[in-house]
Amino acid sequence: MQLDFTARELTIKLVYYGPALSGKTTNLQALHAASSPEATGRLMTLETRDDRTLFFDLLPLTFSSEKGLSVRLKVFTVPGQVIHASTRRLVLQGADGVVFVADSREAETEHNAESFRDLRENLKQNGLSTKQLPLVLQFNKRDLPSVRTEAELTDMAAQGKEPVYLAVATKGHGVVDTFVGLLHLTWQTLDMRHGFTEKFGFESSAFFADVLGKLNDPRTLPEVLNSRVGRRGLRKEVAQ
Amino acid sequence: MKSERPLRSLDELTLDSKFSIQELISRESFDVLLRSMNELFAVPIRVFATDGALFSEVGPASPLQSYLGTLPGARRSVRETVEQVKSSTPQGDNDLRLQGETGERYTVIALTYDGRPLGRAVVGPYVLPSESMPQALAQCDPLVSSDRLTQVWGEISRSDEASVARLARHLRSMLGLILFSGHRALLASNMHIASVQESFRELSEKSATLQAAYERLKELDRLKSNFLATVSHELRTPLTSIIGYSEMLVAGIAGDINEEQRDFIGTIHDKGEQLLELIKGLLDLTKLESGTLNLHKLDIPILPILKDIVHTLTPTARNKGVILSATGDAGMPTLWGDAARLRQVFLNLTENAIKFTPAGGHVTLSAQIAHVELPTDEEGPAIVLRGVKRPMIEVRVADTGIGIPESERPRVFDAFYQVDSSSTREQGGTGLGLSIVKRLVDAHDGTVEIGENIPRGAVFVVRIPCKRLSFFG
Ligand SMILES: Nc1nc2c(ncn2[C@@H]2O[C@H](COP(=O)(O)OP(=O)(O)OP(=O)(O)O)[C@@H](O)[C@H]2O)c(=O)[nH]1
Ligand SMILES: Nc1ncnc2c1ncn2[C@@H]1O[C@H](COP(=O)(O)OP(=O)(O)O)[C@@H](O)[C@H]1O
Ligand SMILES: [Mg+2]
Ligand SMILES: [Mg+2]
Repeated sequence: MQLDFTARELTIKLVYYGPALSGKTTNLQALHAASSPEATGRLMTLETRDDRTLFFDLLPLTFSSEKGLSVRLKVFTVPGQVIHASTRRLVLQGADGVVFVADSREAETEHNAESFRDLRENLKQNGLSTKQLPLVLQFNKRDLPSVRTEAELTDMAAQGKEPVYLAVATKGHGVVDTFVGLLHLTWQTLDMRHGFTEKFGFESSAFFADVLGKLNDPRTLPEVLNSRVGRRGLRKEVAQ
Repeated sequence: MKSERPLRSLDELTLDSKFSIQELISRESFDVLLRSMNELFAVPIRVFATDGALFSEVGPASPLQSYLGTLPGARRSVRETVEQVKSSTPQGDNDLRLQGETGERYTVIALTYDGRPLGRAVVGPYVLPSESMPQALAQCDPLVSSDRLTQVWGEISRSDEASVARLARHLRSMLGLILFSGHRALLASNMHIASVQESFRELSEKSATLQAAYERLKELDRLKSNFLATVSHELRTPLTSIIGYSEMLVAGIAGDINEEQRDFIGTIHDKGEQLLELIKGLLDLTKLESGTLNLHKLDIPILPILKDIVHTLTPTARNKGVILSATGDAGMPTLWGDAARLRQVFLNLTENAIKFTPAGGHVTLSAQIAHVELPTDEEGPAIVLRGVKRPMIEVRVADTGIGIPESERPRVFDAFYQVDSSSTREQGGTGLGLSIVKRLVDAHDGTVEIGENIPRGAVFVVRIPCKRLSFFG
């Protein structure tokens, strides 16, 4: 995170992590396609071979609140292939929030787990832990056969503390939900740590209205946040 | 991007987005872009970095300003015009149009990347196609020539504002694309280097850890050897007493004993001897490992050693129903070695051969002279020696037993290693014999190899050098 107080500008880094081919790049493409031109620039795909990410993808998004604070988001994907371990660590550095994109298929369970261990290890090396870092999980490729059942995922999601979203990234389903879910969680965490609301008189509802508007999503913030599976009742700020 | 610049972190390159135009675009390719714009629109364009430095320009300097510059009375309006252009900063996509006191027009365009200022493009001076010069210009100085003025006014680029607006749009979008590619290239090259550095850091860390672990293991190994040496030594002393006293008991020195007692004491004696062998083996091994075993080398013949071994082991072989023999040419040269240690080598090999050969089999020791080419490095100092054969005594211990699979051959020389088959385990043993053999042979500058004994069994081939290189010329 970078805060330029005089320019009233906040830069936040979000990272899409997960095993190879789970759909991280596809998530970013869908997000890019959904956003209005005034909110986004070009989607940068850095070095690919056979459509596999070699370094990272980067999507810039800019939103603003009515008080004139502009929030610049830099959304990255890491390369999922095991051999790119050092690149993943570099890209993860300084992340304010992470989406973990898992492949829903039963057969991919072990790859998901392995990649999550890798995430935890890399965070540790960067002096962070999955406990402190805003994290949401996405189970992608819900359209494929032999995926883990929604009932099972809902059940398990209810036991964990991270928000869990289901998605079909190729169709754009669940992509905005996951993104806004992470942005909201990241926002809360940063606000708690740095007191933006106090310092800037920041209106978080106006900000998220701007976000949803520029992502062309007609829903309200609570509606979007509530699309996660396995909720244990409404959270306070969502219910209001 | 020719100049070398220090590696910048990914955050600096993506989060700040505080770039200079020079960093993202090469001046040469930008010049090309501006020239083609100038060909299309025929107006001068100048591009300045955020610090005001001129980055690229195309089109002539203002002919009007050059002329007015020579007239003292007109210099002020030229200066004012230039100042006005310099100090105007447009916001975002709102280009600034202005007209100076000289009547010349400019459009100033803000150049940005990712919402950050990168510099300004100044289009102009130009005048509208049918525009005439301001009246005031003709009276600006007593020396002004109206013919000359009309001439230079005519030389100013002509353009309507709509074309300039189109040029601005064009420039902005082309520039956006070029800046994006520049940024992408900058990121890619930085990531390449950063990834390599990160991998290197990781590997260095790992190899440091490995090195530390290796040092520790070496230290442990040394401790183990010391420990073994001490323990073996301490065990040997009381064991020698046990064996000595049991011998004395059997000899009746302490009085008569009955058959059963003799039997029991005999067992104590035999087991004691077995234990002593093991301890001697361990002691030898630790001495060999630490290099403290002293060899007493002399010129010695090999055949007597082999004959002695056959003599010693014939009872064992006969018990198993194995035929043991030794052959060799009486005229063979001597070799350079420690007779007692070489005896130990061939005793071990022959014991193994008998052990792993079933009844009805043969164990044969044979000695002959072999000429072995000296190993020389391709470019080593001993190149002149290449092709010189060194005479060696080759002893083959061949059996018709169970043999050793090829994959196991390198490992049987490791201490305590035994080929894990039930037949081996049945035979007992400690697995120390061959490791001692290997080390003793090494200490003689010799070699030991395992081969196949067609159609069945194993052959151990030991080669020990004869003393002098010049022996056989
Ligand atoms: N059926 C289906 N396919 C998907 C979905 N999401 C992504 N894919 C496909 O999965 C493949 C890999 O997607 P990417 O987005 O490139 O995966 P990635 O996680 O970026 O992979 P790496 O860059 O190697 O780490 C592509 O062929 C996508 O079209 C989905 O929801 N359903
Ligand atoms: N002549 C042989 N034929 C078959 N196997 C052998 C022979 N000599 C040695 N070996 C294998 O090599 C192993 C190691 O031999 P050695 O170091 O002498 O230990 P030990 O004889 O105490 O088992 C033996 O256990 C056996 O498996
Ligand atoms: Mg990818
Ligand atoms: Mg043995």
